[in-house]
Amino acid sequence: MSEARARVAGTESGARFRRYLGRPETPALAFLVLLVVAFSVLSDKFLSVPNLESILTSVAVLGVIALAVNQVVLCGEIDISTGSMLGLCAVAGGAAAQSTGGFLLPLVAAVAVGALCGAINGTLVTLGRIPSIIVTLGMLYALRGVILLVTGGAWITGVPNESRVLGMGSLFGLSAPVIVLFGLFVVMEVVGRHSTWGRNVYAVGGNRRAARLAGLPTNRVRFFAFVLVGVFVGIASMIYMGRAGSVQTNTGTGLELQVVAAVVIGGTSISGGRGSSLAALTGAILIGVILNGLVLVGVPGIWQQAVLGALILLAVTTDVVRRRLVGDGV
Amino acid sequence: MSSAVEVMRRLRFSRELVLLGVLIALVIVMSLLSPLFFTLGNLLNTSRYFVEVGLMALGMTLIIITGGIDLSVGSNLALVSVAVGFTFAAGLPLPVAILFGLMVGMAAGFFNSIFITFLELHPLVVTLGTFALFQGLAYGLTGARAVSDFPDWFAYFGQAYLLGAVPGQLIIFLVAVVVVWLILSRTSFGRYVYAIGNNEEAARFSGVPIRRVKVAIYTGTGLLVAIASVIYTSRVYTARGDVGLGLELDVISAVVLGGASIYGGSGTIGGTVLGIVIIAILRNGLLLAGVPSTWQLFILGVLLLVAVFLNEFFRKGEE
Repeated sequence: MSEARARVAGTESGARFRRYLGRPETPALAFLVLLVVAFSVLSDKFLSVPNLESILTSVAVLGVIALAVNQVVLCGEIDISTGSMLGLCAVAGGAAAQSTGGFLLPLVAAVAVGALCGAINGTLVTLGRIPSIIVTLGMLYALRGVILLVTGGAWITGVPNESRVLGMGSLFGLSAPVIVLFGLFVVMEVVGRHSTWGRNVYAVGGNRRAARLAGLPTNRVRFFAFVLVGVFVGIASMIYMGRAGSVQTNTGTGLELQVVAAVVIGGTSISGGRGSSLAALTGAILIGVILNGLVLVGVPGIWQQAVLGALILLAVTTDVVRRRLVGDGV
Repeated sequence: MSSAVEVMRRLRFSRELVLLGVLIALVIVMSLLSPLFFTLGNLLNTSRYFVEVGLMALGMTLIIITGGIDLSVGSNLALVSVAVGFTFAAGLPLPVAILFGLMVGMAAGFFNSIFITFLELHPLVVTLGTFALFQGLAYGLTGARAVSDFPDWFAYFGQAYLLGAVPGQLIIFLVAVVVVWLILSRTSFGRYVYAIGNNEEAARFSGVPIRRVKVAIYTGTGLLVAIASVIYTSRVYTARGDVGLGLELDVISAVVLGGASIYGGSGTIGGTVLGIVIIAILRNGLLLAGVPSTWQLFILGVLLLVAVFLNEFFRKGEE
C-alpha cells in the first residue's frame, strides 16, 4: 500500500526508502543504533569487543526463545509458558548430564521435553480450542509445579563440563551462545521467507478465516509453531545450563514476559501476521543493550524492571504512530 | 453417549449452578481430608486471603467481559502498597497517605486505559508493559526497602474482627460485590460492557461511548486494586515493592473459572465470586490436608485449563 503511494509521490529510490521505513523492525533497529551511540558516548567501556560479545552472550537464551515465540505471535497466538518450560527443560537436561554426562544426550532430553510441552500447548490451542493466553498461563503454573515435583526443590549441581558446550564453548573466537543465536536466526529467516510453513504462518496470522477458506491447514500451522517454541526452549535451556553450571528450581521465572517484550519491541505485531525474525532478534539485543548500558552508566539494577516496562510501552506507541504516518508497510 | 452430552448441554443453562455443585463437592472432600477444614474459624480465615484477590477479580471480570485483560494488577498492588507506606514514612498523616494510595491505584488504571483506548493498543501488550513498569517503579523508587512502623489502628483494615469472628475486610468485599453487581446487571453502563465484548464494531455504531466505558473500567479496576492493596498492606503490616508478584494469575484464574469467556461478551459477578471461593478453598483445604504447596501450583494450572475447556465446550452447545 505504502509502495503504491510512494510511487505516486516520486522517484524509485524514494519508494525503496519508504519500503524500508515501513518494515516492522525498522523503528527498533533505529532505536538500537541510537542507544549504542548514546551508551558509547556516556561510557567508554561500552563500545568494546568483549563487552559487545558479553551482551550478545547474555541475551542468547532470551533471543533463541524469542525467535520461536515470534512465530507463535505471527500466527496470532501467544505463548507465556516459556519461563517454566525453560526450567523444566533445564532440569531434564541437567538430570541427563548428571547421570550419563556427554553433550548429545542432555540436549536431546531437553529438546524432547520441550517439544512435548509445546505439543501439549499446541494440542490444547488447536484441538481443545482454548485461547492460547489461557493455555500457556495454565501451563506456566502446571510446569512450575512439575519442576518442583520432580526435583523436590533440590538444585541440580555438578554438571560435567562436556555437557556445558553450548554455554561455555567457542569457535573462531565467538562464544557458543552467540553462534547458536545467530545460527538459529539465519535458519528462521530462511524458514520465514522460503518454506511453505513459514509463509503459512503469515497467512494464518494475517487472516485466519481467509487462510482456512484458502485451504491452508491452520491448525497444523499453529500446532507446529508451539512445538517449535518447545524445541527452541530446549536448546536455550542447554545454553542456560552450560553458562550457569547448575539448575535451580526457579530457573526461568519471569522470562516469559521478557520474551514477549523482545518480540513486540522488535516490531512483530501482537495481533499477528506482521513481523520478522529480525524483529525478534533486534528486540532481544535491544533489551540486552539497555540492561548492560544502564549498569555501565551507573543506574542501579533495581531500576531494570521499570526501564523494561517503559521500553515496551515506548516501542508499541512508536509502532502505532509510525503506522498512522506511513501506513502498514510491506 | 450422545444423550449424555445432550443432558450436559441442557444443564448449561446455569453455569453458576454447576460451579455451586463443584464448590459443595469440594467442601465435602476437604472436610473428609482434614477435620480442621469445616470449622467456622478456618472458613472465615480463608476469606482473609480471598478478599484481596476477590476485589481485583471484580474489576477483572468487567475487563474480561469487554474482551480485554489486565496483567498489571499484581504490580499495581505493589505500587499502591509502597505509595501508602513511603508517603507515610515521609511524614504524611496515614489517612492522607491511604487516600494518596487510592489515587495512585486509579492513576495506574487510567494510565493503562489511555494506551488501550486512544492508541488502540492491545490490552495484553499495554498491561504487559505496565506489569513491568509498575513493579519496577515500586521497587526502584523505594530502593527495595520496606516500611512497617504503622500506627496500631492501621491493622483495622486487614486484621480486625467484627461481630466476634468475621474478618473486617469481608464486609468491604461484600459491599464491593453488591456495588459491582448492581453496576453490571442493573445499569446501562453494564449493558455497554457486554455490548463492547460481544461486538465492539456494532457497539460503536450503536452509539456506545466505547472509550469512556473502557477508561472507566480500567480506572475502576485500579481503585479496586488499591483497596485490595491497603487491606493487604494492613494484613502483612509491611509495605514493600515486591509484594503481589504473580497475583494477576490467581485473579485471571478466578474470573475464567467463574465462566467469563476470555473472548469477551460473557461473564457474571456471581460466577466470579464462586470462582474466587473455589480457588481459596482449594488452596486452604490442600494446605490443611498436608498436600505440599508444589502440588497446589500444578492443580491450579490444570484447574484453569479444565475450566476454560468446559467453558468453551458449553459455549459451543449454546450456539
